[in-house]
Amino acid sequence: MTAETGAPDPQVATDHPVTGLDEVVHQRVRLGILTIAHEARRAEFGYLRSQLDLTAGNLSKHLSVLEAAGLIDVEKGYAGKRGRTWITLTAAGGTALSDEIRRLKQLIARVETTDLPEDG
Amino acid sequence: MTTDPVPAGADPRRLLSDVRTLAHRVRVDQRVTWFALLVLAAVTFVGIPFDYYFLVLRCVGDGTGCQFSRQGVLYYWPPALLLAYAAIAVCYLRVARARGVGARVLPYALTGVGLTVLFTAAWIAARMYFPTHPQQFPEWVLVLDRLIAPWGTIGVALLVLARLERNVGLLVFTLGYLTVALVPIDFGWHWQGRDDTAFLPQQIVNGTVLLLGAIGFALAGRRRR
Repeated sequence: MTAETGAPDPQVATDHPVTGLDEVVHQRVRLGILTIAHEARRAEFGYLRSQLDLTAGNLSKHLSVLEAAGLIDVEKGYAGKRGRTWITLTAAGGTALSDEIRRLKQLIARVETTDLPEDG
Repeated sequence: MTTDPVPAGADPRRLLSDVRTLAHRVRVDQRVTWFALLVLAAVTFVGIPFDYYFLVLRCVGDGTGCQFSRQGVLYYWPPALLLAYAAIAVCYLRVARARGVGARVLPYALTGVGLTVLFTAAWIAARMYFPTHPQQFPEWVLVLDRLIAPWGTIGVALLVLARLERNVGLLVFTLGYLTVALVPIDFGWHWQGRDDTAFLPQQIVNGTVLLLGAIGFALAGRRRR
């Protein structure tokens, strides 16, 4: 006889895409920053601000979180007399972004599978 | 956009859709396609007088057996294409920097330089070998010859640019351009009946297609902004 505890199967729990989501990346703005930095190779602070429709302070907070996690590099420089801040993706940032996208796709696949109407 | 972490019930489809939209916007902002096509059109048109003045045409007997040597191609096109690719790369980098993004143009410029070296080597080898070994070629060899000619290599390099930019419009344009460049266009038109102007229609058509492409992409870019 086996005792049924009703607890979730640990194997199933660890396999679920939600369990692998990184809280640093799984946030709409930070995911947007990583996406832009990945596509643009390097993105300027003002460009990120306009694309993500954020205030400078708000964007700075998100950049600090990503920089502290080692996902982006922030480089300050000048264009003429104007100060400019450039953001580049680190190797860890690239991996985190691709992992997040893969897990989102897995989530969608799982939702589509479970959403199928039952026959009979 | 919100600053809070995505709630557990957030729709992953929407997140992925946002990612795709942002990626597309960045790619569009990195493009200066019209400038690349404009430079290549200018290079094609400026090459016409070089081709004309350095064309050597030797006809024997009744004129049925003529030997062409387009020496202008070797004098003009290698340095012109190298300068063109350098100018395109510099322009892409400057424009992208001004817009606040990096550029993806380097693989295109390197492909263009590599193809220019390839065509130069092939044409020099052909010029050394074939005068002493004249022969008739099948049509597919002539198509290959046109593919590694300067106007063919321009198209092949543009395919790389279309891939880098994920630019479907440029891909369609380039396939059309390559069709025009690889299929010999000769309306039977020789200027004042002279054989040494037989290359003109093809080169004018190639340059015009590139110029029209530049205008089209410039207008499309302006409308988008």
